Amino acid sequence: MTEDGAAAEVVLVTSGDEKHPPENITDRKMETFWMSTGMFPQEFIIRLSSAVKISLITVHSYNVRDLKIEKTTSNDITEFEPLAEKEFECTEGHLQTNDFSFNATTATRLRFIITSGYDHFISVHNVTVDGKYE
Amino acid sequence: MVKLRARCILLGDAAVGKSALAQMFRSDGAHFQKNYTMTAGVELFMKSVNIPESSDSVELFIFDSAGKETFLEACEKLWKQPSVLCLVFDVTSETSFRSCERWLERVRAHCQGLQVPGVLVGNKSDLSSRREVEMAVAQEWAQSQGLEYHETSAKEMENCEAPFVSLAQAFYGMYQDRVQTIQSLA
Repeated sequence: MTEDGAAAEVVLVTSGDEKHPPENITDRKMETFWMSTGMFPQEFIIRLSSAVKISLITVHSYNVRDLKIEKTTSNDITEFEPLAEKEFECTEGHLQTNDFSFNATTATRLRFIITSGYDHFISVHNVTVDGKYE
Repeated sequence: MVKLRARCILLGDAAVGKSALAQMFRSDGAHFQKNYTMTAGVELFMKSVNIPESSDSVELFIFDSAGKETFLEACEKLWKQPSVLCLVFDVTSETSFRSCERWLERVRAHCQGLQVPGVLVGNKSDLSSRREVEMAVAQEWAQSQGLEYHETSAKEMENCEAPFVSLAQAFYGMYQDRVQTIQSLA
């Protein structure tokens, strides 16, 4: 997922349909997705294979309204700090693409919290993280 | 297999039988409360509804709201982004039926433009001699509001599951529809 081609995996997710599992968020395919199954907030955590200086996060989704991103560099997943927050535009009929640029912020895990949606159900098709290993 | 989760808001005037109906559904008809206790604030419980001919289910998180105006403000805080609505009136009270419009307006303010499936429930159908609201009248109004109409008697264990099952199915149908839409986008 990083420009070094390193692996990232989803380690926690709040809801799921077996047919649309969270692995789809990091499989680099736009046609596969993770689907939320009702109610907000919804969240997922992505673990990077090691500490990365992040310059850009891109989120491809559908019907997401408010998204918060948090990060941590520790192994203790209770200690996340706020990184970014954005209200996405509603894009009926095509996917939402949103970029978050950073001035080299370091993280080992990223937490994505969707606090509201334009529909009861939202999908996340891809999250890409660009940066350099520390 | 998929397990959906829906926030189900139960609302309507005080003493129409919202809690009694919820209790009957929750306990599969084993528990009818004979004495009336007014709900203050909101009571929450979860019950899972299986979708026939599938291994899927919908967990209904039922928010049983107080009908008394005094508690309204506290209740409304918990109505955010509802998934489905269950609006209840008492068939022996014309007043409780007329209030439905106001309840619907109030809760719709929290829907944030979402399409929210709903049912209208005429409870206390066992009290036929005291009936003030005719079935046809209630049905017609429900239809005009896009709600499905059900009559129940929590006391006689009549039809209490039907409104909730129908809401679960509507929510499930909506999920399937959305999955299809999203699949066609990518």
